[in-house]
Amino acid sequence: MTPELDGDAVADPNYDDEFDAIVVGAGLAGSAAALTMANRGLEVLLIERGSSPGAKNVFGGVCYTPTIRELTDFDGAPLERYVAERRFSMLSRNDETAVSISPGEWHEAPHNDSYTVLRGEFDEWFAEQAVEAGTTLVTSTTVTGLVRKNGRIVGVETDRPDGTIRAPYVVLAEGGNSLVSEGADLKATETRENVAVGVKEVLEFPGRDEVIEDRFRLTDDAGVSYHYFGEGAVGDAFGGGFIYTNDDTVSIGVAYRIEDAVAADQSPEATLNAFKSHPAVAPLVRDARTVEYSAKTIPEGGAESIPDLVHDGAAIVGDAAGLVLNNGVHLEGTNMAVESGYHAGNAIARAADQGRVGAKALQAYPDALERSFVVQNLERYAWMMDAVEADRDLLFEDLPRAFADAGTEYFRMDRTPKEAHAENAKRAVLDAVGGWTGAAKLALRYRKVVT
Amino acid sequence: MSAQPTTPQVDNDSMEDRLYTVKYSDPGDSHLDVKVPDVCTQCDTYDCVRVCPANVWRESEDGVPHIAYENCLECSSCRYACSHDNVVWTYPETGAGVTYKHG
Ligand SMILES: Cc1cc2nc3c(=O)[nH]c(=O)nc-3n(C[C@H](O)[C@H](O)[C@H](O)COP(=O)(O)OP(=O)(O)OC[C@H]3O[C@@H](n4cnc5c(N)ncnc54)[C@H](O)[C@@H]3O)c2cc1C
Ligand code: SF4
Ligand code: SF4
Repeated sequence: MTPELDGDAVADPNYDDEFDAIVVGAGLAGSAAALTMANRGLEVLLIERGSSPGAKNVFGGVCYTPTIRELTDFDGAPLERYVAERRFSMLSRNDETAVSISPGEWHEAPHNDSYTVLRGEFDEWFAEQAVEAGTTLVTSTTVTGLVRKNGRIVGVETDRPDGTIRAPYVVLAEGGNSLVSEGADLKATETRENVAVGVKEVLEFPGRDEVIEDRFRLTDDAGVSYHYFGEGAVGDAFGGGFIYTNDDTVSIGVAYRIEDAVAADQSPEATLNAFKSHPAVAPLVRDARTVEYSAKTIPEGGAESIPDLVHDGAAIVGDAAGLVLNNGVHLEGTNMAVESGYHAGNAIARAADQGRVGAKALQAYPDALERSFVVQNLERYAWMMDAVEADRDLLFEDLPRAFADAGTEYFRMDRTPKEAHAENAKRAVLDAVGGWTGAAKLALRYRKVVT
Repeated sequence: MSAQPTTPQVDNDSMEDRLYTVKYSDPGDSHLDVKVPDVCTQCDTYDCVRVCPANVWRESEDGVPHIAYENCLECSSCRYACSHDNVVWTYPETGAGVTYKHG
């Protein structure tokens, strides 16, 4: 059953002033906020521009679920596979050097709260949880602006006839392409250095049973999350490639900074094609059929790009607030979207209890977010994007090549003693990083990734 | 045993076939435009064309890009890419545009 209301229902003038809060966007952040507020007794209107929640949404991806699992009856969630292996792979033009991690613990519920999902189904299910808690959902309706009274935000304009809907609180959960928040001067438009373009395909393997299990060495519901860096993944750009296994499809894609897409004249389509044809990737995806091609941007500004989160009558959550951690090792936005929606929903419920609407009354939301993993993680890795950017040639081109060369040398089979091979291998890496001093500096610079 | 294992051929769909995988409903009007056409005639980078993953923006003879809006995946990249801030970007109305089945 879909929770969709007839889209035209929003034209019904009764919606004006009928709700305690309006949520713009039924993505992860929006549905989390709506569910939280509905659970606390508020009348909530959730407005989504797609024909159903998820219809406009694209991600990699792995959904990280520590908060969703607490908020919902999670057994019914449409999960594809749990992540049993994470693999980080450096690709030069023709070589691969990889590290794979698959702790036994990840096979046990709740599977480290990491599951591959497809957003079409997942977002619809999550919005349904909000509806079951009492939220009213309208779809195929785009919010085009905010309504203000004496400076305070008191509602939204929509593209429906008689589409003005007023309510004491508005939650902006519109995702990274935040036309409403930007149009209302609640945040600045990100620069292209801070936004990545992502393209993705969902692949199926017609007539080949068990092909995903065989190629990725999986049993039952186990799945993989593969991340790729280096010029074999995204050419000269700053970003990476990914492969995730779903139940009976595979998601593959690349994401890299828009700045590089234009500067290196590297089209997303050509970059994806090259990645799929890499000698280390092609065997995983050969003989597949593309069932969907999609694209979306990722806000990557990190901690410095977070706008003011609360305003008189409004709060900004999820990607609209730039809450994505993408540092090469981690690509996490789903958990942050849900966490921020949850805290914003709680703050609004508390303010509503007290009959207060000003930004001050909502301050509990930024305060809670500040204390949560969301801001803590973003701040912890703020330095990393800059460091990686400064070292990008080394990290994405020289090192992948050096590691491949080192591996080739170390395991070389000939009639020279291994000592000479080891020496050659060591030299390949040391040459790339600038000797022992260079290596020490590099280790110092990136020690915080692990410590 | 062959000496040189070959990389298996991966057949990629054409852009047309790729876009064909996405459900689309035509809003009737373009939701994309350029603000000032003269800025485009002066522009020599065509960043909108370079970044677009769906071949919506195309160089044209008069210097103002042609916009095949019905290809648009609503990814928003062109909006950020244009360094002259010359892209008009709105959402297709009332849920029109792309509908992803998987996402
Ligand atoms: C290519 C790619 C790969 C990614 N991979 C991962 C991953 O593997 N793991 C991970 O954790 N994160 C990943 N992310 C990030 C993650 O997808 C986001 O952080 C997350 O989806 C943000 O959720 P959100 O609810 O804030 O925004 P969104 O999911 O974007 O939801 C916004 C919603 O608002 C609606 N909307 C927008 N404007 C309006 C309007 N004006 N009126 C009405 N409705 C509107 C949209 O249709 C949408 O439903 C990835 C992102 C991309 C692009
Ligand atoms: S839209 Fe921007 S990038 Fe494209 S041609 Fe015009 S000015 Fe140049
Ligand atoms: S939004 Fe994306 S797909 Fe649409 S025109 Fe812009 S770059 Fe192309």
